[in-house]
Amino acid sequence: MTEARTVGLPRALLYHKYHTLWTTFFEELGWRTVISGPTTRGTLERGVGLAVDESCLPMKVFLGHVDSLRDHCDVVFIPRLESLTPDEHLCVKFMGVYDIVRNTMPDLAVIGYDVDAANAVHERSSMIALARQLGAGRLASRRAYDRALTAQRAHERELARLQESLLETGGPHPDRIRILVVGHTYNLADELIGKPIITYLESLGVEVITSDAIDKPLARKLSARLSPGIRWTYNKELLGAVELYRDVVDGIVFIVTFPCGPDSLMGELCQRKLHGVPVATIVLDELQAEAGLRTRLESFVDIIAAKRHARQRCEVGS
Amino acid sequence: MTGKRRVTFPHMGEYWIAFETLAEMLGAEAVIAPRMTRHTLEAGAHVSPEFVCVPFKYNMGNFLETLEGGGADVIVQAGGGCRFGYYGEVQEAILKDMGYEFELVNLIKAESAAQLVREVRRMQPSVSYVRAARAVAVAYRQAQAIEAAEAYVRLNIGFEVERGATDRALNSFLRDLRTTRTLRAVREVRERGLADLAAVPIDKPADPLRVGVVGELYVLMEPFANCGVERKLAAAGVEVHRFINGTSLIAQGVGGRKHVRHALDAAGPWVEYHLGADATESVAKTWELMNAGFDGMVHLKPFGCMPEVSAMSALQRISREHTFPILFLSYDAQTAEAGVQTRVEAFCDMLAMRRRRDASA
Repeated sequence: MTEARTVGLPRALLYHKYHTLWTTFFEELGWRTVISGPTTRGTLERGVGLAVDESCLPMKVFLGHVDSLRDHCDVVFIPRLESLTPDEHLCVKFMGVYDIVRNTMPDLAVIGYDVDAANAVHERSSMIALARQLGAGRLASRRAYDRALTAQRAHERELARLQESLLETGGPHPDRIRILVVGHTYNLADELIGKPIITYLESLGVEVITSDAIDKPLARKLSARLSPGIRWTYNKELLGAVELYRDVVDGIVFIVTFPCGPDSLMGELCQRKLHGVPVATIVLDELQAEAGLRTRLESFVDIIAAKRHARQRCEVGS
Repeated sequence: MTGKRRVTFPHMGEYWIAFETLAEMLGAEAVIAPRMTRHTLEAGAHVSPEFVCVPFKYNMGNFLETLEGGGADVIVQAGGGCRFGYYGEVQEAILKDMGYEFELVNLIKAESAAQLVREVRRMQPSVSYVRAARAVAVAYRQAQAIEAAEAYVRLNIGFEVERGATDRALNSFLRDLRTTRTLRAVREVRERGLADLAAVPIDKPADPLRVGVVGELYVLMEPFANCGVERKLAAAGVEVHRFINGTSLIAQGVGGRKHVRHALDAAGPWVEYHLGADATESVAKTWELMNAGFDGMVHLKPFGCMPEVSAMSALQRISREHTFPILFLSYDAQTAEAGVQTRVEAFCDMLAMRRRRDASA
């Protein structure tokens, strides 16, 4: 038997949503997985050097991760997703990312699978076809996918349950300020983009709820209350989180990466429809300076605290 | 409501003529937005999300200038693919928050000819289906006539003997076309107009410089937004070829995925999966024209337009591996005409130099 082959998974973009599905799938097939390290300044700088200037920040981060896997695996894994349901679609970067990598790094070996439910290309058949292409038998391919899917579903249920329980009990500290941080999973989970913001808010004593840990189908349904016409699946999930939590949080922080079109339109609509909830929008680009960011977050939290305080005094006085 | 409704729409090139015909044949009143100026963009940018792409801002400028100057009952929004599809809802929310009252008709929902007629009827619901279908047919033929005339102009205006003669013929054709209300009249005006254009004397070499223009549909088709890039290329002595126009996009919209499959085939080894909107087409046309011996390409997009950014990774590779000249232009609210002028001139000089070098080699 030959030594197990190695597949590289860039720790960026959809990895943060699908890592359970993907790693389980490859391990079931007998492949070794290598995951690029957490994003650093260096990762971003690599990506900036490779990407077309006007690419969005998450795409630059992604290309940096892909490049860092060079020499550490036999092949890099880059799926291509267009639509997950017949009447929704994803941001176009997920349609282009496979070809972007092929054209940016022509010497790199890449594999992937395609999902475009609107045109009858489904995850199940595509991933099974990928397994077959990698040399697995028919049964083994199906089993790998089915097990991966089961693991992914369990992971998603766990995420949603965590947050639900938090809301039911009112959280561990009912007197603490609670802020909903809204942003794409690939931004919130990124060590360089979203994590520092969440960590900093927590260091200010804030209880943070994030938009990505939520029951996704429910969120997509709820989004219609804020925007009946939006068709980007992931933006629907973000809007659904806003709709679900707006009444139980003291404020909302939107994390947006430059120059994200869907987010800029969604943010505009949200700000027009959310009345009475303090909202801060943090736009991040590759030149981000941490000091300015901290000052903004700090003053946002101060404003919320002052508001709370004033309200409490009113209630006591009346 | 049975009264005459006042209908307006965003500007794009000379298509306002066809829109005016459409609205009037439906029995509505067409409200034409003022010609675009710097003010249009500034007014639109002022009320738009900061980094939404520039077509959104131009559209908003058109709507504001119309609503401030007399108003309209119905705003028509069109366009397909990517964020274009979501424009209408956000634009409606912004304008209504500003206190304007109107109904928004979004033609993006049309995925078949019958559906298009149905959506169009919402501009003036009292009109019969038959009359609405006839209005669509005449407006569509007018749009095609405009496209045919402009295609001829792009190929030849750079070589006219008397400066201004082509534009005189084009403007008189557009004036006549604006008054047509039957298919037969459109056909007659189109034939006469094309004949008049062909009669304008030109002095064109047997083998002129040829450049293709590709990219995102709005900046491609709106000369004010692209700083007149096609005319600037022509003025440098270039035959300008463009393939995307309004009616081809409508035909693609109602024709399902066929055009995507064709574009993927034509894009050769550079694109395996559809990149979204017109981006696969941008790569396909570039690859085709390079192989057909064209001298270069110009790629246009609004700043940050993601499908076209995806296309750029393939275009840059083609350019690099085949030493094929491609000029990349990106437009935002700050783009200055002088900058575009300089870059186009330098590009055309380089193309001419390459020709001379190849001839002497």
